[in-house]
Amino acid sequence: MTVAESRTDKINAIVRASRLILRMNPARPELQKSDAIYYKMLATYFTRLLEAPQKGGFVAAHTVFFPTEILYAMDIVPMHTELTTWMAAMFLGEQAELLAGGAELGLAPEICSPHRGLAGAFLLKALPRPDVMLWSSLICDNSAKSGELVMKLNDCPGFFLDRPFQRTKPEVDYFVGELGRMIDFLEQLSGKKMNWDRLSEMVARMDEHIKLLQEISELRKAVPSPFPYQGYLKLLSVDYMFPGQPEATEYLETLRDELAAMVKAGKGAVGKERFRIMTLFIPPMYMSGFLEKISQEYGAVSVVEPLFTLWMEGGLDPSKPLESVAKKSFLIPESRTMYGPLSKQMLDEVVQIARDYKVDGAVYWAFIGCRHTCATIKLFKDVLNEIDIPMLTVDCDLVDPTINSKEEIREKLERFFELLEER
Amino acid sequence: MVVAQKSNVTLKSLDLFREVNKTFPKTTQILDLKQQGKKVFGWFCTYVPEEVIHAARILPIRITGYSEEVELDDGNAYFYINNCSFSRSCLQLGLRGGYEFLDGVVGGSTCDGARRLFDLWRHYIGTPFHQVITVPRKSTEPAHELYYQQVVEFQQRLEEFLGIKITDEALVKSIGVYNESRALLKKLYDFRKLDAPPVTGAETMEVLDASFRMPKELFNNYLKELLAEIEKSGNGYKGRARLMLVGSVMANPEFVRCIEGQGGLVVADELCTSTRYWSDPVLLKKGEPPLLSLSRRYLNNFPCARMVPSDDRFNRIIALARDFNVDGVVSQIIRYCVSYAHDLPLLREKLGQVGVPVLALDVEYGTPGSGQIQTRVQAFLEMLEAKRK
Ligand code: SF4
Ligand code: SF4
Repeated sequence: MTVAESRTDKINAIVRASRLILRMNPARPELQKSDAIYYKMLATYFTRLLEAPQKGGFVAAHTVFFPTEILYAMDIVPMHTELTTWMAAMFLGEQAELLAGGAELGLAPEICSPHRGLAGAFLLKALPRPDVMLWSSLICDNSAKSGELVMKLNDCPGFFLDRPFQRTKPEVDYFVGELGRMIDFLEQLSGKKMNWDRLSEMVARMDEHIKLLQEISELRKAVPSPFPYQGYLKLLSVDYMFPGQPEATEYLETLRDELAAMVKAGKGAVGKERFRIMTLFIPPMYMSGFLEKISQEYGAVSVVEPLFTLWMEGGLDPSKPLESVAKKSFLIPESRTMYGPLSKQMLDEVVQIARDYKVDGAVYWAFIGCRHTCATIKLFKDVLNEIDIPMLTVDCDLVDPTINSKEEIREKLERFFELLEER
Repeated sequence: MVVAQKSNVTLKSLDLFREVNKTFPKTTQILDLKQQGKKVFGWFCTYVPEEVIHAARILPIRITGYSEEVELDDGNAYFYINNCSFSRSCLQLGLRGGYEFLDGVVGGSTCDGARRLFDLWRHYIGTPFHQVITVPRKSTEPAHELYYQQVVEFQQRLEEFLGIKITDEALVKSIGVYNESRALLKKLYDFRKLDAPPVTGAETMEVLDASFRMPKELFNNYLKELLAEIEKSGNGYKGRARLMLVGSVMANPEFVRCIEGQGGLVVADELCTSTRYWSDPVLLKKGEPPLLSLSRRYLNNFPCARMVPSDDRFNRIIALARDFNVDGVVSQIIRYCVSYAHDLPLLREKLGQVGVPVLALDVEYGTPGSGQIQTRVQAFLEMLEAKRK
């Protein structure tokens, strides 16, 4: 494996794109104040990453659903590897180069594309060299297995955080222990100390964030629903990038207030709401704008995403920061529903959610790189069928545009909307 | 093709194992035991401590899929096409009644395919007893503690389910039976270290397959018979190169036969259906509960690609390559078997450093080896021969 010279053009481009959107913001009345905060957050996140080497920052690359709050509390600069690959796909459309890098490394095409992309990005030095690689078993074999290659490509040390499978006391205790061992490792490696008071503050804020996210979900129950089709991508990335951070509080409060105002005014996210959709799993990132357009055209709104934005439980305790970080790991919607045994209770819960949100139909974005979620397609289809809610399954890839065309997806969605219309 | 060097005696006792494999899952032995009122449990992965089931006087058998490549219509419909064909094949066989006699299934949180197989099995097939064991991905001391707790819990649930007590004596006895099996299999593998091994890789896999499909005591007797027969046979095989098989779960002797048909003698493997299944004995320690010794063995065993750090697996593969004097490694990875796919670039590099080339094959579970595989094996063998010159 020959690793290229360091370049950070992808990150630079994400920062430039975010700033451009911010500058254009005043000229686009459809953008809300919360959008401006969101893009400012993106720019801040990636600028900090870019500037870390000059400013003596210690950079930790990490995989998805990693407890980034620990890094913030230790004054370590986080780099969310999958998110960065997604952003490259969304803003730059340059994922082909990164995926080719993954293929050059010998990674099989069946490995999920953000992971192939992130390995490719490190091979091509399109991401800054991290000082440490942190990865965990959340949420699949891909995340559990991606760290060692990244360590090798960057010649950096790493820590694997073993997140157990079920939420039983011994397993939660084991995970608390793992978090403690990781903190010791990071303290020794970086010379930075854990600031426990800061972590407690973050835990308090994370708890507030969960409540805000629950309020936002509640508001989305309104008919018409006020939240745009693709809005959930932002909800996801805010928690990925800024868990327990004041920026996230500002964003979520602003968003909640905007949605509340819309509900009060009886205003929906689309001109005329015709179809209320439950979105199961994440649609292709790079089609974000296109899907938003379809949503407007057909009056279709995603009102709930039980597998990745709906927080069912909160109750974090700032006086027990590490235990709360561990607990949060089990509350994250995707880890709650998709990692751990898929119980009958979970399936019943989805049925109830469909009723509560007055869902007309569900769309399962079958990301072909994500095996463990796709293995639930039939389970969800069957339980939703029982309450007469049809489910459309769309094969897709989160970041790789060669898997299916926009026309294909448009056609599938159109047909599904026709079916819903006929009912 | 692999050629018999000395005598070429047909090993008659292999038929005993073949009979089991041919009729599995519904073998006469299993059906007879059921008729006698004995319980049968299926397990999904080598991280399930089989001895606990055995000590409860239940017959543990490993759930495997079809032994040939078949259309997986039900597997695809229930599992979706992007899960490994091993899981799809197992589920389909289960959905179509292949395992209808099971009284329980036990899985582990070992990989995405295995844990979803457990979920779908429980939902659509269902058995009176089901348990999934959390298996840490590390083998540190705290990880051992957690795994031990999981094994204790498993034993307790089993006791509740059966209304019995699994005594330490029963556990020690079961461990003895399994350790004997491991020791006998080691003898079989030691034969393969010889310059001209008296058994082929395909024959070895037939034995291994039967090992997790029948009562262990009976298997041990069959194996003793076979070992004695091998000793007497004077057989010895030579090929164009000595190969080791690594990668995803595989229980298909025809695939090995396909490689050996090209002249690559398969002398070693690191599959969870073969070496990783039997390699490490349980070491009982004085004063230590037998369940603890058992759980230590399972988490410390020759690691699956799911474990971190991967170096433990790589180092043991390299040690095997040396012990068995291997010329080349054939990596066979089932499509969508991500743990192994992630390890491949690093493993290739490590083996390269000790001068062992790797042929990487993408396969489907149950494949007998296609024309394309034959061509690639041919080219690999030619390369190995050229390297030797
Ligand atoms: S390959 Fe690993 S996870 Fe899969 S069945 Fe074998 S031991 Fe279990
Ligand atoms: S280890 Fe690989 S082959 Fe085995 S169940 Fe998991 S994904 Fe399938």
